Amino acid sequence: MNIHDIPHKAIRRSIHKAALFSIALLVLLLSYVVYIQVIESNTLAFHPLNRRTAETSRKVERGQITDIHGKVLALSKLSQQEYQREYPYDAVFSHVVGYDSPKYGKTGIEGIYDGYLSGQINPEKRLGAISQLFANGAGNTVVLTVDAQLQQVAYQALGNHRGAIVVMSPKTGAILAMVSRPSFDPNTLDTTWNSISQAASSPLLNRAAQGLYPPGSIIKVMIAEAALAEQLADKNHQFTCSGSLKIGSDYTLTESNNIAHGKLNLREALAVSCNVTFGQLALDLGRTRMAKYFERYGFTQLISSDIQESANQLPDFAKLNDGDLAQTGIGQGSLLVTPLRMAMLASTFANKGIMMKPYLVQKIMTPDGTILNQTSPVAWLSPADSKLASQVADMMVSVVKEGTGSAAALRDIQVAGKTGTAENPHGASHSWFIGFAPADNPQVAVAVIVENAGSGGTVAAPLARQILLQALR
Amino acid sequence: MKYEKRTELSLLLIAGLVLLNGYLAVTLANHQFSYQGLSIISALFVFWTLISLTIRRYFSSADPLLLPLAVFLASIGLTLILRLRPDLFIPQAMWLSAGLIAFIITVIIFRQPEGISQYKYLCGITGIILLVFTIAFGVDIGGNKNWIILGPVRFQPAEFAKLLIIIFLAAYLSERRQLLTYATRHYGPLTLPHPRFIAPLMVLWALTMAMLIVQRDLGSALLYFGTTVTMAYMASGRWSYVALALCMFFTGSAICYLIFPHVQVRIDIWLNPWADPTGRSYQIVQSLFALGSGGLLGSGLTFGYPSIIPEVHTDFIFAAIGEELGLAGTAAVIIAYILIVYRAFRAALASQIPFTMLLAGGLGVLTALQVFIIIGGVTKFLPLTGITLPLISYGGSSMVASFILLGMLFAISEATATP
Repeated sequence: MNIHDIPHKAIRRSIHKAALFSIALLVLLLSYVVYIQVIESNTLAFHPLNRRTAETSRKVERGQITDIHGKVLALSKLSQQEYQREYPYDAVFSHVVGYDSPKYGKTGIEGIYDGYLSGQINPEKRLGAISQLFANGAGNTVVLTVDAQLQQVAYQALGNHRGAIVVMSPKTGAILAMVSRPSFDPNTLDTTWNSISQAASSPLLNRAAQGLYPPGSIIKVMIAEAALAEQLADKNHQFTCSGSLKIGSDYTLTESNNIAHGKLNLREALAVSCNVTFGQLALDLGRTRMAKYFERYGFTQLISSDIQESANQLPDFAKLNDGDLAQTGIGQGSLLVTPLRMAMLASTFANKGIMMKPYLVQKIMTPDGTILNQTSPVAWLSPADSKLASQVADMMVSVVKEGTGSAAALRDIQVAGKTGTAENPHGASHSWFIGFAPADNPQVAVAVIVENAGSGGTVAAPLARQILLQALR
Repeated sequence: MKYEKRTELSLLLIAGLVLLNGYLAVTLANHQFSYQGLSIISALFVFWTLISLTIRRYFSSADPLLLPLAVFLASIGLTLILRLRPDLFIPQAMWLSAGLIAFIITVIIFRQPEGISQYKYLCGITGIILLVFTIAFGVDIGGNKNWIILGPVRFQPAEFAKLLIIIFLAAYLSERRQLLTYATRHYGPLTLPHPRFIAPLMVLWALTMAMLIVQRDLGSALLYFGTTVTMAYMASGRWSYVALALCMFFTGSAICYLIFPHVQVRIDIWLNPWADPTGRSYQIVQSLFALGSGGLLGSGLTFGYPSIIPEVHTDFIFAAIGEELGLAGTAAVIIAYILIVYRAFRAALASQIPFTMLLAGGLGVLTALQVFIIIGGVTKFLPLTGITLPLISYGGSSMVASFILLGMLFAISEATATP
């Protein structure tokens, strides 16, 4: 039959159009569903408000978190048909490992590696119902770089002081210990939540990576490198310290205890932590170059890694007056840094001027031991020339040998370091020490801060000694 | 054996295997397996096979895809209901049998479809009375204020009213199509027919606005209105109807949006569900999470968490399919609907009589729009509305009405196939 012979041609034509329209609507709908279930799938599936991950993790055994030697830091135990998380080391690892609470969410490794620990990220999950055949019931094990014994020593060393300790391998960036006090017990989180979340001492805060402190004199190691690099000083250049530095008409930078150090070179200035010398060097470097060095040492950017850190606070160099610029040179003023970054600063001089990217997770394994992921060390920044870095490292040896850091010295091993006594608006000065050992072949770098405890040389340096001793055992 | 009969029987067998597979997957995983359930499935299987064998004696050339597609969709629905609400499995199986009986009755009534057009006013008035009744006396059950309770019987008359109104429209428009097309008046750029001829369309517009205002039911309003307008277009071929209708609908909706806070809430949730994901937009956000978590192949039956979504076994059953069967399941469902719509229009275009052409076309449009509105709603493509997913959602009225619709298409396809 020819199309022109078909009766009701007009109505047929409009029905044809309506048919195309109806089917087009449904095809459009199908494309949108494809978009939701394919392109938006992961965003929606792992959205923080999506309860499915949490619901699943109550049914499957969550993977373990262990230290580098396999000591278990977090594990799941079955009680009343639901898995519950247990932390054998109580409060010692709470800021590193984090917590996994059905009520208060997840933090730390528990949060960042949730997909692996819960097994949700496993590739066989993509196979739909077939994935149930592969289900071995347990999540993956996350192996950390930390050493449980060293962590315990560091935790005990801080005692009841507030403060933080970061120990890392300068050559790889692996975090060997990371302690923040006061801490909390993740085992009893649900019952103690109100008191710990509201406590003025903020036990939930990981001071090691999120606490912001004025660095005080420990920043001088960086200023020393900058001065050498900009040829404002060499090994033999003599500075003169009269005990105070008058800046402009109304500001005077003074030495602690008002001692005049007299004539001294850069090494000696660092050893005695001479404020006048380093204040003057900051002025000589000027605003632009100071800003440039803080940028080179990574203070202006966040590290994208498995450690949740706070952004360091730098002064707005362009607007600083001379007094504040000199203050920045001795680590005071509005400059605020985290202990993690200070450990990385020490590591840079221990590692020929190369700053390694810090990391906490060594590897991720399936329950049967297959390695899913392994971290290899990555150089993050190269802020200093290797020759200048080793000159600064030598100066840091003098700090411990004959300067303010002598309390950190070990009997047979040469230690390099720098003390800091940071004035702050919250009371007595914060006590700082950064350093590394052995000086000729650095294996371990450390940053110690004890809040409001006084001089760096008398409080933080002996703590650092204990930690280095344990770490090099 | 004739080609159509063979095709229909083998497709029904496949649909039956879908149901059997779904039943075994759910009950074995949940440790709920029972021979009672298995015998219900076998009974259903025997029932629809018998229906096919019986009607093929008299309707040898009718479309062999319609019944298997319906059984396929109902099987997926039954499986999902068994998984989500095992207590509703037996009632839903009964509703499926009721639907199959309604199918065969409809096929018999419509064996000479052109004869039905003489009852157009009876159909139209019954449909409108049912709608007015629902609007006036509707009771809220499970969030939808479109239930009528008559003693022990509870049903949703709107499901049947839409079929009656489509029959009326098909008959009315096919008789008046010359007048609608040629007896026109010019209002500026618009060419419109004499007001007398569009009076029934105005009545329907008023009804849909009443639905929107009294029942807060944007979905049904859109469904009735869209179907009416498309049918008017099919009869007349005039875009001016569509333009005028769209203007009226959007003007009405805009006024409702400005006046009624509940309409505003619905629209605001649609525009930005993430503003209040744990409160007002909880349902739609949970539905999106379910669809996203399902991904390509889904979690597998019983391994997802669809029960997080409120009303998942009725309005949101599509999200549960998306979570547990993944895109594989949702695409299969949408494609099955596309095939039904395609076969409806195929019957319409093969038909020789304007009434059956418009009737089959109208049923096709109705199915397409209903699927589009409800699936669009649960996927945030459109504002969320409370209408059912034909053949899949739990509910008797919807199931029976869907089978009546397919019965009409089946009969029309038989009538058109015989030269």
